[in-house]
Amino acid sequence: MKLNRFTFLVLLLIAILALAVSPLIAQDTTLPRNETLYFNGQQWGAVVGWNPYSSSNNNALAISQQDNARVIMFETPYLYNMLDGQVYPLLADGPYSWNDARTELTFHIKPAAHWSDGTPVTAEDVAYTWATHITYSTPTGTGNIDYIENIVAIDESTVTIYAKLNDAGAAVNPLIVQAYVSTNYVIQKAWTQTLEERAGGDATALLADTAEDVVWSGPYHRYFADDSKVIYVRDDSYWGQDASMWGRLPVPRYLAHNIFQDNAAGTTALQAGEVDVSQQFNSNVQDLWLVQGLPISTYLPEAPYGIGASLPTAFYNLESYGLDNVAVRRAIAIAVDYPTIIANAMTNQSATFEQVPRSLMNPTAGEQALYDHAAVADLQWVGNDIEGANALLDEAGIVDTDGDGWRELDGVKLSYVATCPNGWSDWQAAIEVVAAAGAEIGIEITSNFPEWSVYQTVVTASDAPLPEGYDIFMMWSDGAGPTQPWSRIRKLLSSEFVDMASNWNGNWGGYSNPEADALIQAIPTETDPARLTEMYTELVRIYLTDIPSFTLMYRPQSFHTVNESVWTNFPFDGDGTNPPVPPLDLTDGWGIAGLYNLELVNP
Amino acid sequence: MRHMLRQLLQSGRFLIGFGIFASILLTVLIYPLFINDPPLEIVSRGTFLAPGIYVNVYDSMNFSTHYTLILDDAVAQRVGARLNDEDRLAMQEWLLAAGVLEGEINIEDTAALIELWNSNFDPSVRVPGMTNADRNYYIRLTDSLEGLLATEGAIVAVPNQTTGVLEETGVINQSDYVNIGEVPNFRVLPLGTDNFGRDVLTELVSATGTSLTIGFVAGAVATAIGLLLGLVSGYVGGFVDDIIVFITNLFTVIPSFVLLILISFSIGQEQRGAFTIAVVIGLTSWVWTARAVRAQVISLRNRDHVNLSKLSGHSIAYILAMDILPYIASYVVMALILQISSGILAEAGLSILGLGPRTTEVPTLGLMMNWSMIYQAHILGKWWAYFPVILVIALISFSMNLMNTGLDRVFNPTLRG
Repeated sequence: MKLNRFTFLVLLLIAILALAVSPLIAQDTTLPRNETLYFNGQQWGAVVGWNPYSSSNNNALAISQQDNARVIMFETPYLYNMLDGQVYPLLADGPYSWNDARTELTFHIKPAAHWSDGTPVTAEDVAYTWATHITYSTPTGTGNIDYIENIVAIDESTVTIYAKLNDAGAAVNPLIVQAYVSTNYVIQKAWTQTLEERAGGDATALLADTAEDVVWSGPYHRYFADDSKVIYVRDDSYWGQDASMWGRLPVPRYLAHNIFQDNAAGTTALQAGEVDVSQQFNSNVQDLWLVQGLPISTYLPEAPYGIGASLPTAFYNLESYGLDNVAVRRAIAIAVDYPTIIANAMTNQSATFEQVPRSLMNPTAGEQALYDHAAVADLQWVGNDIEGANALLDEAGIVDTDGDGWRELDGVKLSYVATCPNGWSDWQAAIEVVAAAGAEIGIEITSNFPEWSVYQTVVTASDAPLPEGYDIFMMWSDGAGPTQPWSRIRKLLSSEFVDMASNWNGNWGGYSNPEADALIQAIPTETDPARLTEMYTELVRIYLTDIPSFTLMYRPQSFHTVNESVWTNFPFDGDGTNPPVPPLDLTDGWGIAGLYNLELVNP
Repeated sequence: MRHMLRQLLQSGRFLIGFGIFASILLTVLIYPLFINDPPLEIVSRGTFLAPGIYVNVYDSMNFSTHYTLILDDAVAQRVGARLNDEDRLAMQEWLLAAGVLEGEINIEDTAALIELWNSNFDPSVRVPGMTNADRNYYIRLTDSLEGLLATEGAIVAVPNQTTGVLEETGVINQSDYVNIGEVPNFRVLPLGTDNFGRDVLTELVSATGTSLTIGFVAGAVATAIGLLLGLVSGYVGGFVDDIIVFITNLFTVIPSFVLLILISFSIGQEQRGAFTIAVVIGLTSWVWTARAVRAQVISLRNRDHVNLSKLSGHSIAYILAMDILPYIASYVVMALILQISSGILAEAGLSILGLGPRTTEVPTLGLMMNWSMIYQAHILGKWWAYFPVILVIALISFSMNLMNTGLDRVFNPTLRG
């Protein structure tokens, strides 16, 4: 068809009109800069939903039920503070209490607590949330059902959690029961019933619901979300401005997270002052202020810049030839050049093993106080001990007998593959350093980096022996939380995970020690601090003697780098807050207290 | 032949291209003869050390190698390096905000300024508008002012082995200098270090060698396949031609880089050595050579000398090798040069995507780019970690393209002037 002039003009006119009108139709998402707090490093890809029962919302800022739960939209009864290891009431009124037998945990709901629809938060909401988790087998339900018998509303505002009991009539694990109250959201009963009706009793449909109509109790809720950004707006009728909680509203009116293509784009935005709070690994972060002179800072002004919480760990496959020999395991572990791992792979964003001697604890003061440092001091190594490692191997009779430069054990050359997922840059750099240590002590170690999809399938299948190429492999360990360090130790040492078909917990190398198992089982029910210290010290001794795995570095719970172009008064070490606000990006656990302290640089 | 060489030597483009290429190649061959550090050795604890000469501080404390130089501007330079004009203004700003009167502050008088600063500055005072980043800056500044105006030397002391008490071993005066040549330990890092703490220059030379090898192997494989298919297809014709053209067309429509990505991904990193990558690159880039060779052969196959050869009962292989190949040899050489250059670029492209050879065995130009990007060298302004790599890649392809156009001028009758 040939366009005549008239048709062409009409089409042109329509096009111009459409262009002129479209900005008016589209929702205006330009936010006033001095009312908006921008994040990076948390949200990758578009938000899928707003359903607090589901774990597949891809809605990182709003929905994350974990040890340090994100509480901007949905709230937990208590807030965990990783800096002092305490919990502080949020929806709850005052501290929780155990009965004498430590089988029932009771707490009250604050009278001021309200849902976004104006109705009060009640004990029945807590009980019904639990019932729903169980009925529909949500991740929360299946994760806790072995430890919690039931959660019951005693009256309008009183909740009691009944722990599951063992044969002796004691709670199976009181630690996990008390962690429940700071880890899991309280969700409104009335809305849950609406959701159930919509799902027609089908668990899959219930978890897949995007919950656009959800009712929340937190200070922020959905304002805008698409594949380029997500914005939350403050709820000015938020109950927490009541004097019984915060006494005021959080400072920023909007929380916004642009969806960046990669870390580099996020860092560029941070440099430009378009991001206020960065949860990204920025390599050589000190250059941002030392070299580039930007108003950027971290929680600590000098290395390691943040508070380490988790311990990325190299596991030994205890079935690999020679790795069942503790002399070989210890020799490799003490020969590794940890200072180089920390300086190069982590660009100094980890405490060194001189600063925080290795144990099973993370560097936070609370955990460090849990074991007797002097009792295990002679077991702790700082690395680079080539001489010691060689002597240890010589003494064990593991020497180079055929003169090829590599040691043999009973005539078989010791040769291993060290591995971690491809593209996990700091881990890969760390594995390179581990491999380099092998050459120094006559044990051949090569490195290999399979794709994550392959790696995770192989490593988590603990019911079969690990295949060739997985002699020394890296995995994570737990960070900071209300069940720590017990839970981390369990996942590093407990034999309960050996033979598990899909093992996402730990002990991937297949370590088994009845003594350690007994201690791990006993700790949750132990309340005497002196005895606890003894038990933890014993576990550290076992871990540093048997060396089924070894920590390569310390890693913060969240990276926390802030740009003070617009906002200031972010948490920093010695900021005078009491209780101290942890460097957790102002959204996680007690970290949200930081949102109430922010100030504008230029009011 | 001699005539052609003479012509080539008169082609400016070819000579420049050849010169650049030869110097790169010579560097790759000669550098390791003089500096034989392993290219992947981690030499620095700390990433992206800037280019420079690193002198061992401990060794330079050896007092017998100290010399006294009387240089007038030494003090001024020492003070200027730790307290520049910006710092002075920032100090003034803080002092004013803390309530010190403007008349009392003289930022030109270093001694007075430091004294005023030390008596007033308190990191715990909250000045309106001051951020935590500012506060950290002032604390760092205060630390660096420590002893700035001291005139006495620094005392070196060593703890006594038995008692642990510090014992003075000497004094380093402010006018003491060492001659780098007399310090036993120093390392020249002309291009600094990278994210692993490796010497970038040594790594770059080694990587260039690997990348050139990858280019040669990929180019050879691609040219060999292209040449063979083109010759057979063009000369034999008929059904064989149809089949080969069909396959060639099939490969033409699939973008070769996509194919390359898919193959590299599917063979997995365990198998991805530099040689494997080179072969894979070669296997995916023969298409245009095949088409061009076929077209040339079709125009040659009915020439008189070919027919004569046929009548003499020579085999197809003989005819292809003796009667056809010499006529297209110049073209094939040019194609090979382009294939080598594009092979090097393909490796770099693959490695930037993280699909290159495995990291640990050999450095390649692409892997160096990949790692410097992962550790954000381009954002942090660590140019030495990536710019030299880009420059080498650019020089290699530039020189090869120059050589190619130079050859074209000589061999292509339509361009011959």
